[in-house]
Amino acid sequence: MVWVLLSPMLGATAALFGSLFERFRGTACVISTISLAVPAVLLALLTGPVMEGEVLQHSLGGWSPPWGINLVMDGLAWVSASLTTLIAVAVALFALDSGKYGARFFFFLLMMAVGMYGVALTGDLFTMFVCFEIIAVSVYVLVAWEGTGTGLAASLKYLILSTTGIMIFLFGVFLIYRDLGVLSISGVSEALRAAGGVRNTPVMHLALASLCVGIGVRTAFIPFHTWLPEAHAYAPHPISAFLSGAMIKISFFAMVRIVLEFGGDYLMDLLMWIGAFTALAAVLSALSQTDVKRLLAYHSISQLGYILAVFGAGSSLALTASFLHALNHALFKSLLFLTVGAAVSFTGERNIYRIHGLGSRMPVVAAAFFVGALSISGIPPFNGYASKAFITMGMKGSGAYPLLWATSFLTMASFIKLGRIFLPFSRSGAEYDRKERPPGILETSVVAVLALMCLGTGVFGSQVAGFMHSMLYGTELVTAPRLFTAGSLLKTLPMIALGILAWRMVLTGPGRSLSGRVRALAPQLRTVLIFFFAGLLAFAAVAY
Amino acid sequence: MTWILIGAILMAGLWGVVNRPNMIKKVMALSIANSAVILMFVYHGSLSGDTAPIEGNGGTMVDPLPQALMLTAIVVGVCVMSMALVLVYRLHRKYGTLDMREVEGKAWKLRD
Repeated sequence: MVWVLLSPMLGATAALFGSLFERFRGTACVISTISLAVPAVLLALLTGPVMEGEVLQHSLGGWSPPWGINLVMDGLAWVSASLTTLIAVAVALFALDSGKYGARFFFFLLMMAVGMYGVALTGDLFTMFVCFEIIAVSVYVLVAWEGTGTGLAASLKYLILSTTGIMIFLFGVFLIYRDLGVLSISGVSEALRAAGGVRNTPVMHLALASLCVGIGVRTAFIPFHTWLPEAHAYAPHPISAFLSGAMIKISFFAMVRIVLEFGGDYLMDLLMWIGAFTALAAVLSALSQTDVKRLLAYHSISQLGYILAVFGAGSSLALTASFLHALNHALFKSLLFLTVGAAVSFTGERNIYRIHGLGSRMPVVAAAFFVGALSISGIPPFNGYASKAFITMGMKGSGAYPLLWATSFLTMASFIKLGRIFLPFSRSGAEYDRKERPPGILETSVVAVLALMCLGTGVFGSQVAGFMHSMLYGTELVTAPRLFTAGSLLKTLPMIALGILAWRMVLTGPGRSLSGRVRALAPQLRTVLIFFFAGLLAFAAVAY
Repeated sequence: MTWILIGAILMAGLWGVVNRPNMIKKVMALSIANSAVILMFVYHGSLSGDTAPIEGNGGTMVDPLPQALMLTAIVVGVCVMSMALVLVYRLHRKYGTLDMREVEGKAWKLRD
């Protein structure tokens, strides 16, 4: 199990070696990509024991748990590590083929993967903090990789916000260590149970709130989301895909683990409402964007809102639905970022209204993009449809569901808007001053494979959900929505109609001026940091 | 008393991050706030004994765990700070200003 963590670390060493010696550059990049694929094999071998409910433990360096670093592999850790592997391999292959990025880029990419495996597998809070910082430092470098002013500014903004967040996390760790004297997650959970639960220990309210806010900054739900649109939009394309596809999910899984293990049930309602509100508000901003990658970045926030809202619903079906949507979102959002990234680097243009007619230039990439767009809009038989059906069932009877319902047709509207860049014909027939070659064979096959996976997890949605449920709980899924009945298929028709209507509304005069105003809404750093402390107090106060 | 002082350091750091437009001051304030949290750990650890945790020293040794942890946290903090200062330097070369608001306004033109 420890090799899941060590393999990308060794790959990073190889990449560092390659960046020092020019001759080995190509080899080093290939070796590091292979080292990212090794965990896939190891995780596949571990599937059986983990599914039977076995919790594998490994103490690094032979030091026993209270002092040493302990790695824990249970169902949740397995799911998050597999998700990292899936996206990391796709992203590394894409970056390998585009040829723009040298061995040093791969070093940081691999260190980021190491940090993500660390967060997924760690058994104690302090190691989680260190792994979060490993991810963060690599992300700062990677976001600013191209050295453009926007990239540097986005990176600095992310640095200030996430360092403040992680400092709050460390403060929460301090409170826990002060009162309970243990740091391992299972140890804390036992000590809390002995003390009568979180609700009976006022200091722990603040501690749990600090942990949630610290991770919340990484997970990017409202009001902690403001770094995400810039950091995701101005990063190099493979990194945008990796950030959106895997990084925010990994921190979300860490939060799920902490909230569930520490008995933070009282937070569930708050998380559900935050999630639903995040989904709706972010999709409205997305609809008003004209920069293609910013639009996708806002959609990441919005889809994360879905994941969070259904997690807040609390039942075991809801948690499965949330993880299923996390997996599906990882697939289709990295697909979308890679295809749109290919379009942006081919045309050298980011404005949605100045890119057109790419469908005939890069047919496979365009087809893959449409698969991703149909998935995120929840059109059968793609995977977004399957997970949204599970979400509908998991949220049944809750007051926040209408917000999610509105989000789903607005999502569709904004993808109708975005889809025009990949249509096979163009009205004006503009020629681009070709900055770069069209996507290569490996890049095209990566997006094609991701598109096929979107289709596969959609058609076999119930089976994937069943597998996820047995990974998390060790039991079979009892109640599941039936995905492809005539009734449920018909229900998507009014959604499509509403989506088209909303898209037409945005194109009218008032719609345009309104979206211009929404686009200019950018809270200053100062306001955002004040949001942080308000959020912290809200998380702590909800216990009463 | 010490707790109040540590709290004051934390508050000063946070105030700086929130209120100073100068990027270098923001980064330094972040560093100050971070060291306040580190001080909390170390001070709490120091209450548990009266001698340094070195083998064969006699007396009640302090809990060595917080010190070990904070050593790691300090190293992490140094990495982040150096990264931040590099970014500030590059931004200053690009935009010729250290004011965060100005940089943000110039970097992403949100109004068409």
